[in-house]
Amino acid sequence: MELAHVWGILFISLHAMVPITLAAIGETIEESAGLFNIGLEGILLLSALTGALGAEASGSATIGLLAGMGTGALIGLLFGVINTYLKGSQLITGVGINLFAFGFVALLLILLGAPGFHSVPRDAQIQLIPLGVGSLSPLVFVTVILAIAVWWLLNRTQLGLKIKAVGENPAAADVAGIRVNALRVGTAIAAGMLAGLAGAYLSVDWFGAVTKEITAGRGFIALATVVFSGLNPLLALLGGFIFGFFDGFATWISTYPGIKKIIPWQFVAMAPYVVTLLVVAGAIGRVRFPKGLGVPYLRE
Amino acid sequence: MLGFGYNPAVAYASLFSGSFGSVYSWAESLANATPLILTALTFAIAMRGGLFNIGAEGQLYIGALAAVTVSLIHLPPPLHIIVALAAAMIAGMLWSLPVALLKTTRGVHEVISTIMFNWIAHFFAFYLIANVLTDPKRGEKTISIAETSRLGRILPDASLNYGLVVALVAVVVVLFLLWRTTAGFELRATGYNPESANYAGISWRKQVLRAFLIGGAVAGLAGAVQVMGRPPTYAVLSGMPQLLNLGFDGIGVAMIGRNHPVGIVFAAIFFGGLMVGGRIMQFSPGVPLELVRVVEGVIILALAVPELKRMFSFLRTKIKGRG
Amino acid sequence: MAEQTAISPRRAVQNQVLLEARGISKGFPGVWEHLILDHIDFDVRAGEVHSLLGENGAGKTVIANILSGYYGKTAGEIRVKGKAVSFTSPREGLAHGIAMVHQELMLVPAFTVAQNVMVGLKAPNLSFHLQQVEKKLDELTAHYGLQVDPRARVEDLSAGEQQRVEILKVLFHEPEVLLLDEPTSLLTPQEADQLFVVLRGMADEGKGIVFITHKMREVFAVSDRVTVLKLGKMQGTCYISETTEDELTRRTFGETVPDYMERPPVKFKENALEVQHLVPKGLEDKANTAGLSFALHKGEILGLAGVAGNGQSELIECITGLRPAAKGEILILDRNMTDCLPRAFIELGVAHIPERRREVGMVEQMFVAENVVLKDYRTPPFSNHTVLNHKEITRHTEAIVTRFNALVPDLWKTECRILSGGNIQRLILGRETWRKPPVIIASHPTEGLDAKAIRHTWELFLELRENGSGILLISEDLDEIMSLSDRIGVIFESAIVGMVEGKGADREQLGHWMAGGHSPAATA
Repeated sequence: MELAHVWGILFISLHAMVPITLAAIGETIEESAGLFNIGLEGILLLSALTGALGAEASGSATIGLLAGMGTGALIGLLFGVINTYLKGSQLITGVGINLFAFGFVALLLILLGAPGFHSVPRDAQIQLIPLGVGSLSPLVFVTVILAIAVWWLLNRTQLGLKIKAVGENPAAADVAGIRVNALRVGTAIAAGMLAGLAGAYLSVDWFGAVTKEITAGRGFIALATVVFSGLNPLLALLGGFIFGFFDGFATWISTYPGIKKIIPWQFVAMAPYVVTLLVVAGAIGRVRFPKGLGVPYLRE
Repeated sequence: MLGFGYNPAVAYASLFSGSFGSVYSWAESLANATPLILTALTFAIAMRGGLFNIGAEGQLYIGALAAVTVSLIHLPPPLHIIVALAAAMIAGMLWSLPVALLKTTRGVHEVISTIMFNWIAHFFAFYLIANVLTDPKRGEKTISIAETSRLGRILPDASLNYGLVVALVAVVVVLFLLWRTTAGFELRATGYNPESANYAGISWRKQVLRAFLIGGAVAGLAGAVQVMGRPPTYAVLSGMPQLLNLGFDGIGVAMIGRNHPVGIVFAAIFFGGLMVGGRIMQFSPGVPLELVRVVEGVIILALAVPELKRMFSFLRTKIKGRG
Repeated sequence: MAEQTAISPRRAVQNQVLLEARGISKGFPGVWEHLILDHIDFDVRAGEVHSLLGENGAGKTVIANILSGYYGKTAGEIRVKGKAVSFTSPREGLAHGIAMVHQELMLVPAFTVAQNVMVGLKAPNLSFHLQQVEKKLDELTAHYGLQVDPRARVEDLSAGEQQRVEILKVLFHEPEVLLLDEPTSLLTPQEADQLFVVLRGMADEGKGIVFITHKMREVFAVSDRVTVLKLGKMQGTCYISETTEDELTRRTFGETVPDYMERPPVKFKENALEVQHLVPKGLEDKANTAGLSFALHKGEILGLAGVAGNGQSELIECITGLRPAAKGEILILDRNMTDCLPRAFIELGVAHIPERRREVGMVEQMFVAENVVLKDYRTPPFSNHTVLNHKEITRHTEAIVTRFNALVPDLWKTECRILSGGNIQRLILGRETWRKPPVIIASHPTEGLDAKAIRHTWELFLELRENGSGILLISEDLDEIMSLSDRIGVIFESAIVGMVEGKGADREQLGHWMAGGHSPAATA
């Protein structure tokens, strides 16, 4: 294998890592506070759409990303409020978000012309940073910085301690004077924003278009990454990279001459999901979750 | 809808008449409801046990392909159908078994594992359609279900077929299972309170296996019924258009049907009807089918809130006359 | 009368009223028969320890939670230093100088002591004052004599130490009024005495202490005044110096608790249950290597006394199949049942009346009839192993409901969730004992029940005992154990440290063993 190939695989992996890790970092914050959102997939999809539309309408990729973040924040707010103040069920809300997103995005794509597909104009996409051996999206760096920042937030600040307290023992946190529900909604919004950024990245940056299958289960892989990372954002980087590697490697290897005859493309496409399964099955015994995860907090 | 420039009143009117205005549309609605009833049962059975089986999607693909595979051998009519259905159920169970095992041995949350298996099934199905079960004459579909293995139409010129009977039988069986058998008792107790159930001597592991295996079998049936009963092709087309999303829609149906077999039937008919009406609406005011899913999603989000849920079940009780 | 402790004599306190409750009432949603609290008047003065005395379910915890801001009230007024206030959260209570130490530990086990304290601080979100908190904790622990390491993880601490952490947490905010809910429930008698000294010291500094308890001895050991609460209603407030133990007992319980219940001697020789050198899984490092050893005879009531957290729960779990054993053997009716599944124990005839009746003893969302056959549904006539027989189940449930006086609206439409604790316990008792099982494990069977229900339960146990059932009674109420047991064993740090005849047992001796003291005759 030539060096150029190695760089190629590395760069593809880094690009594929971005959406997974961003969503996982956000979900880490949320799960530390006790909320479990399986609607990440839906948030990714919806913000991919709004990001694409925003970028197209304004001509600026940054606006597109912000549009995605805004969408994510809004859904995060909805999820947060339903599952705290309105005492809802987290799993059901998540499913509702996903179903709504699948339908809504497909619907809008049909209305906008080409059913299932809509491309973002070239100049509205993120400009990659040329690095000699290839170009890297600035969002890769943003992701790494965010991972570090969120780690610092959760482990070295009063706010992080409060978040973790709410996740472990909401009754104790309440008695200690923390506004449990408000804090949980806050983390839900933050998680939504990051997932929104991830979704917008998919359309505005990476693929340059939005399709109704653009997320391809990445929201769930992000959830698996959170498990793998043990709620540590730095490990989420690693987890995202691993998935990204298989995603990228799989795509690369299927174009390698000769491979196509031996391994049909469908099995290559399966690889990331199989790997995720194996990783989760292996990691899960060793990971410790907040005691209050998924349990709604009700005070008399 | 007004936002899209369509007249809602006309739209709803034509939706309703489209869904239920004629015998033909009734038949279509019921035909659409058939697989939804089954995939909804899959989700509901698991929910009763406190588990989240969103893997009906993958389980039904495999079930459909298993039914197609049975067409490779030759058997007389009623036997052929029975064998095909059985194969589909076994295939569905085989696909849900690993999920149950991963949960009981490694504690893997089924939300993640079922989705992974869904995607794996997705691609595996594509492979089988394109490479193993391909129709030699038309490469973009599988071989057709043998004539001896098809579920006959109930009404001529309509899609409604005896798959509906299969679905309704499943409903009755599940109803009996959940409330009249020791197995159902154990499942429900575990779903409500695993700790008490354990204290009472009920094995949690057994319930997880039970919920996923039964659910997988029923989902497999859903796939089989779609392929064995749907004219005109009676085959799985590449891209699986007649199978896609049935699993997820089933989740919506189950939730709206409050995870109760009878509620599921009504909810499935409701959604089946919406899909028919939606299709017809595509030609009048032009509101597309996907709107149905949007509506589904919103209803479920609303159902996530207990107060609204209570109002909803109150309405249901009034309508059905029992709890 | 009361235990003598090294505490200075009380003086009548006429200081400033720090906290006052007037006409406080509270009803719970959906419960209309009686109010949880009915017009309570209560006040706390600077420099005093004011005890709130009442039996289980009297409402002591509720009023304290209202005063500290954790619960809301339905009616009435709260005044802090004369000014009317309305709390909507514990934080507001803290801001006014009112702090509560709950009976249930409200700690985050995964955090260290210092982190637990930090969580309650009003600090800017991006700050991180761990070092400062640890330092101040070092000072506080020294000043008040509460020994605990600020850097230790809470889950590694003993129950007594965790109790101290709760108090420290609250002291950090320098409150003026301190409410403590049953603070000695997790402590040995010696630790309790140490606590009294600490509390007295705080009162002498000018704080107002509210001490909630149902134990008479503690009231006389530490308080200046006492208020009695019974079934949500005030029974009066007075100075300790002006009352006696008997009078208080009468006001609190309504009738004096009976002494030893007379019964014919044990007539069976065989063992119902035998435990040999048992070390429950999970307690390998905490328990001593000899493990638990004792035997329960048929037709005997063996009471196990001990402070909570000394291995009782784990022992019960092992002998009912809910927990494996790391070492040792469990023999039931001479069959080795070590590490068997709960179902095996049930089928052998081991009845288990669990401590947590709502969370474990019942599946709350299921109907009355379903819960009554929760362990019997597998066997005929209630099913043919596969299909349930609703008619038989109904008949049986009706019989149980009648015999055990449970109040249930409907057998198949009422979810057990809405039943009262007392009714649930009656159903559980019915379910567990109707077959007259050979072994009965009763864990805190009368906790939270009113006096009449307690009496009925005791009579039921004696009847079953007469019939040959071996009953293992675990209870925190030493009086109950002393009244009911043929023999009394004391459990301390997962070992039996003493065993005596129930009749005429010496309370001092038992207390001594419960605190870990040794005695020459410590055999089963």
